[in-house]
Amino acid sequence: MGIVILIIMAAGVAAMLTKKLPTAFALVLLGVVIAFVAGAPLTGENSVFDTVLQEGAPMLAATMIAILLGSWLGKLLDETGIAGTLVRKIVEFGGDRPTVVALGVLAVSTLIGTVTGSAPAAMLAGIIGIPAMIAVGIPKVTAAGTILMGIAAGMPFELPIWQFFSSALELPVPEVRGFMIKLFPFALFAAVMFVLVESRRRGVEHAWAFRTETPRTKAGKRRARLGDAPWYALLTPVVPLVLALGFDIAIIPSLLAGVVYALVTTTRPRDMNRRLLRTLYGGFEVAAAPITLFVAIGILLAAVKLPGAVDALAPLVKAVSPQNPVLFVVVFTVLVPLCLYRGPLNVYGLGAGIAGVLIAAGIYPAVAVLGITASYNQVFGVADPTSTQTVWSAQYAGVGPQQVMARTLPYVWFVALGGFCVTAATAL
Amino acid sequence: MSPLTAARGAAGLAAVDDIEYGARFLGTLSLHEGRDPALLRHWAAVAAEFGAALAGDARAAHAGAANAGADSVQGDPVRGDSVRVVESTGGLERGLLARYTSRPPTIELYTDSVDAAERLVRAHGWREWFPAGSVRAAALAHEAVHERLHHGSERAVLKQALGHTALRLGRLRVLAHVAGAEELAAHAYAQSVCGLGRSPLLLSAALAASAAPAREK
Repeated sequence: MGIVILIIMAAGVAAMLTKKLPTAFALVLLGVVIAFVAGAPLTGENSVFDTVLQEGAPMLAATMIAILLGSWLGKLLDETGIAGTLVRKIVEFGGDRPTVVALGVLAVSTLIGTVTGSAPAAMLAGIIGIPAMIAVGIPKVTAAGTILMGIAAGMPFELPIWQFFSSALELPVPEVRGFMIKLFPFALFAAVMFVLVESRRRGVEHAWAFRTETPRTKAGKRRARLGDAPWYALLTPVVPLVLALGFDIAIIPSLLAGVVYALVTTTRPRDMNRRLLRTLYGGFEVAAAPITLFVAIGILLAAVKLPGAVDALAPLVKAVSPQNPVLFVVVFTVLVPLCLYRGPLNVYGLGAGIAGVLIAAGIYPAVAVLGITASYNQVFGVADPTSTQTVWSAQYAGVGPQQVMARTLPYVWFVALGGFCVTAATAL
Repeated sequence: MSPLTAARGAAGLAAVDDIEYGARFLGTLSLHEGRDPALLRHWAAVAAEFGAALAGDARAAHAGAANAGADSVQGDPVRGDSVRVVESTGGLERGLLARYTSRPPTIELYTDSVDAAERLVRAHGWREWFPAGSVRAAALAHEAVHERLHHGSERAVLKQALGHTALRLGRLRVLAHVAGAEELAAHAYAQSVCGLGRSPLLLSAALAASAAPAREK
């Protein structure tokens, strides 16, 4: 039975890789089929309808709200000109030294990465950051990579991610936070090294381009009318972080505080209602794709945690899962490429299901599974040429996502190695 | 396109002055989103003046070295020093005419774009402004300025001339880098050392206009 479930999972991965099915639909289908194969009844306890679909769909509800709030805050950072002002100031201060500009944009991307993720985060930092870096001579691949490495450096402190791991792996938020704090230095070190090493290796690049027009969006025109955001508004991205990290305040109120701070520091009272609603609705648009994915992941997680599925998969997974710490690090490091191209270890795909199996079957403690998934997430978030942030950044810079993957992969592979070492040392 | 439409297009492109093209270029950079058009024009004029002055210095230095009878005259104002030049194609597709990379110091000339620009010059009747072969020379000179600014100390002079303030604390004033100004200086330098009647920005505009219908397909 376990073999059959693995074959079904492989078919699901193939469907996602070949784009026969969107990831979210493939995961829902996988969840339902796995539940049937595991012998779940249609209704009742541990059933397809009541457990997998009814309980699974809202399993990650708290994550969905956190994602929505992060997207809302991201929209506010964009509309109020906070993100743009941060990048503009960096270029004005450090424009003579391209590496300094790249490090500054990296810092802004890291800050934005703590608030929101995926393509919206890349857009927030990259819409101004990428042309700014290219204008001072940073090569295009390095410019795109800098945005992605920066966002990934902020990812260990991205509050919606904490919520996701906490809900999906059934871990208390402080445990998630504890691991993320240990993962952060690796992510930051790799990001800074990326900028320094790649700037040194590739030098600067200037081109006589005859196509330079940048599309002017509605939000861009609105920003243009408003000008720069005041300096105290630039602290917005750190507000949720300080509250959650420093004052132990829960994730949703921390994000809400960020929304309120951005609003009161940039908006006249008479415009507040309109701006809040407009950016909230904009946030829904941004959050639609990840929320859909989290509904699907919840369904898949509910399916692989069914007793029938656990009984079938546990012996197989146990046989191939290393328990020795050194072997653990080596095996999971070698498997890093499997989280690329929507592969089976992609956390926002089948990887979530595998994580569910590892915990439900008692193969690793939940915190070790957190270590595995969070480390793979660092790779996926930067180097996967199918992830929306990588595709957007590469295309906006005028290069291919594969070029960005080739340049960034060694650095994020190192981050994953660091994450596995920490996991082996602390959780096995 | 009929000859009449082409002629109108050429006249329309030529009717825009060089400083306006410079201001428009700065305006396309998202960093300058929302800046006052008058300020952009001012920066464009200052950057052009700086580039022209740089060309004067380069010509003087080159002439001085030649008059002194040096065995190998350094500082060719068009090509710059010790920069490798390679030719390739694919510039039209990428929207590039030339590219300078510092590691190793190389100027990459996109011959398809250079040829297209020469054809446009002929078609638009701009030969008086851009003599035959001048597009290639302008591209080399343009990239040579980037090489020079990358290694030299003239950037600070440009910053001083632009006079944009990044921070003011009492009497302390930190000057800001103006993104895109070096590019305009490079165009002005190329115009000056190659003796062009108009800024190479006009060529950029013409190439962009000729590429636009293809992009819309």
